[in-house]
Amino acid sequence: MMKPRSVAIIGASRDPAKVGNVILQNYIGAGYEGKLYPVNPNADEILGRKAYKTVLEIKDTIDLAVIAIPAPLVPKVLEQCGKAKVRSAVVVSGGFAEVGETELQEKITEIAKKYKIAMIGPNCLGVMDTRSKVDTLFLPMKKISRPKVGYVSFVSQSGAVGSTVLDVIAGEGFGLSKFVSYGNAAYLDETDILEYLMNDEETKVIVVYLEGIKRGKEFVELARKITKVKPVVVLKAGRTEAGTAAAHSHTAALAGNYAVQEAIFKQFGFTVASDLSELIYYAKIFASEVKPKGNRVAVITNGGGAGVVAADEIASSRYLKMAELSAGTKKSLRKVMPALVNMTDPLDLAGDADSRRYGDALNALGADPNIDMLMVIVLYQTPGADPAVTHEIVQKKITLNKPLLVVSVGTEYTHKQTRLLEDKNVPVYDSPISAVDALEALFEYAEYKSRH
Amino acid sequence: MALLDYMQAKKLLDRYGIRSADSAYVSSADAAAKFAKGRKIALKLVSDKALHKSKAGLVKLDLENDAAVTKAYDELVGLGKKLKPYKILAQNMAGAGVEIIIGGNTDKQFGKVLLVGLGGIYVETFKDVQMRLCPITKMDAKEMLDGLESRKVVTYDGRSENEVADLLMKVSKLLTENAKIAELDLNPVIVRPGSYDVVDIRILE
Repeated sequence: MMKPRSVAIIGASRDPAKVGNVILQNYIGAGYEGKLYPVNPNADEILGRKAYKTVLEIKDTIDLAVIAIPAPLVPKVLEQCGKAKVRSAVVVSGGFAEVGETELQEKITEIAKKYKIAMIGPNCLGVMDTRSKVDTLFLPMKKISRPKVGYVSFVSQSGAVGSTVLDVIAGEGFGLSKFVSYGNAAYLDETDILEYLMNDEETKVIVVYLEGIKRGKEFVELARKITKVKPVVVLKAGRTEAGTAAAHSHTAALAGNYAVQEAIFKQFGFTVASDLSELIYYAKIFASEVKPKGNRVAVITNGGGAGVVAADEIASSRYLKMAELSAGTKKSLRKVMPALVNMTDPLDLAGDADSRRYGDALNALGADPNIDMLMVIVLYQTPGADPAVTHEIVQKKITLNKPLLVVSVGTEYTHKQTRLLEDKNVPVYDSPISAVDALEALFEYAEYKSRH
Repeated sequence: MALLDYMQAKKLLDRYGIRSADSAYVSSADAAAKFAKGRKIALKLVSDKALHKSKAGLVKLDLENDAAVTKAYDELVGLGKKLKPYKILAQNMAGAGVEIIIGGNTDKQFGKVLLVGLGGIYVETFKDVQMRLCPITKMDAKEMLDGLESRKVVTYDGRSENEVADLLMKVSKLLTENAKIAELDLNPVIVRPGSYDVVDIRILE
């Protein structure tokens, strides 16, 4: 499904307003290199390509069928796919269990099982793979940017949340590996998809939006394994559950299904985001792929106030603490820093700090065994903070074996710099608070892994 | 769901090495005084018709002498008229300490769940609880305690932390091995440095 050599688009249409037309256009636009077969009983040619009446007419073996036709027609078409030995299918069409048509949904599930078609959907956006350029999304490219190639994969039950997050990820430097929106999960569900991503070498971080869990026991078995392999950031859906009021004991009243799901995430080392921005903060720090050896953070800054805010935030956090610079670091820094720079954490390089001062500080603190993580605050509004500082940070990050992130706030000029940083895999945060949350999540996950 | 008889529930805890306050059913004020043997005791009226004993005034605490025991016993008998059938449970008073709750529940999707939190009357006010799926590991037990906002109140030293973590493991084992338990409340469990006592038990099957 993710690396198909051939794709049939069933319901491909000449009408640009139709979903089937958008999907076909996207495949062409994304530069998908496999074979494309538009299927439409009422057309001979679509977007300059020969159209087939049914999938059975296609001589080639079809790895993936994207089905975007009215719901009542899906069983017949899926049956044809089965007969044509299609290996996987994405049923984009809505009009199944989500509107009460459970029988229709069961029917297509049975067909998928019978012919062993790996089926995603119905009622979903489907799949995207930035490497193979598979893209079953019916969202026009001009309306939602496609993320660059990366190692973060994103799973979403909801298509709406999925497309929003996808659009946000497209604006981030870390990129995307795979996206799966699985809709009604009639056949393949979240547990299947997460298991696939756990074993996928092109995925190093998994981000998932869950509204519910279909197979509890199987999910728990997977949860035990998955975080030992790679970090999973989960965005939980809102609390919709009522009905714990009638419970007989205190415990039952406190342990509703929603609370239990949260407990499971905690127990098995998932990183829980409570909103979209947290989700991006966490995904970003995990995507930078360096593991902390401990919880001691050093802050480098060119703004005293920002340094103090960061230090307060670290000191009052649950798991992190401010590092103490080693004697050796102080000595070597003293030689290169002007007299007004105090040898403390936060290390305030002063308002006139330039790339050389940042470089010297990064060298010294990067080598200090008392420091596990680095937060570099750059206020680009000051005269010395220029593209050379950006370059210096990017260069030092390459050889640094501890997590480093940048905190930077500003508008146009700053954005240009932070974009350059993020493109080179340096995570950037717009406040010390979100930066501390991110470092803390990174530390907690490293701890979880070392204990289990 | 039915409430398991208190003494049967206590025996079940005994089997898993979970310490609970010395208890016995008594059928007269004299028997209660005899049970006390000079110790400070509590008397509780147990009836399926009264789910929250303390709210209904069915718990008499700190009974220090025979006169107090007799008075309390007679009061409970008076209250019990409307709650038949009932039994009166005599219980050795545990010393002062921090009250915590340890609970178990059965989630229809995920199975047995273990819960710990600040107990007694604070449970529903603060809802400061941590939960895990059973069975838990020792590490899970420690993480549960560490995850409480009130962790410094609940486990004020390493000794009591260890003690409570062990207790959590035992309750997890009990829940896992007794499939028919639907809900369980050990509330309160009184924790003292290096020791604890389960003071009230409710098990629903």
